[in-house]
Amino acid sequence: MFERFTVTARQVVVMAQEDARERRQAEIRTENLLVSLYIPPDGAAADLLRRAGVEREVAEAEADRRAQTKGVPDAGKLATLGIDLDEVRRQVEETFGPGALERTQAGRQRRLFGHIPFDPASKKAIELSLREALRLKHKEIRSEHILLGLLHAEGGAREILESRGVTLDAMRAAVASLEEAG
Amino acid sequence: MAEATAVAAAASSKDPHVGLAAVAALRALQESLEELQVGNARAQGWSWAQIAGVLQVSKQAVHKKYRRLGY
Repeated sequence: MFERFTVTARQVVVMAQEDARERRQAEIRTENLLVSLYIPPDGAAADLLRRAGVEREVAEAEADRRAQTKGVPDAGKLATLGIDLDEVRRQVEETFGPGALERTQAGRQRRLFGHIPFDPASKKAIELSLREALRLKHKEIRSEHILLGLLHAEGGAREILESRGVTLDAMRAAVASLEEAG
Repeated sequence: MAEATAVAAAASSKDPHVGLAAVAALRALQESLEELQVGNARAQGWSWAQIAGVLQVSKQAVHKKYRRLGY
């Protein structure tokens, strides 16, 4: 699925997982993808968003507001006991190597420690980023296509963007003209 | 500081959802750590009796639990 993503676009996806983890979410949501669009320094999506009047701080604040604490992954549950799972993992990996906790039976049985899955809306947005690229006859999936995917799919990111007047049609035009400019 | 206060508040939460879920997560972490340490001990040539002694469980229990994992 990700083989046609550029390095920058892959970075966005990876950072979205990190963002979800930091907000202690059980799943990656479209807001996490939106926030992550601002992270790669060479991503066109961040420029497009700023030009449309959506600054990173706004997206961050909205993502915070929407971060669900329901369905917190184990790291969050352990934090309620004062246990820092990241620190435990770090110590364990020093002795037993990277991914040691996840390789145990207990680690594999429950999606314990690392991987955070995409929720249905963010999965859909990623699929649609592919379709948006095809529509523009672009061979690669870049950060701006992820942005279009987020505007196309139902989800928190679209709500945030639409509430600030950013529409799919306008952004499609902006991405297309980006191409013409080279 | 604010975060420490928040954690303390959650730890003393009377909400069973929060408390029980934390216990379940702790158990999963404990299971995972135990498996790593038992595997390590076996790799270093420890007997099941030695491992059981330090873990403070019966030899039968630890053997039965981990033999199937190929340790």
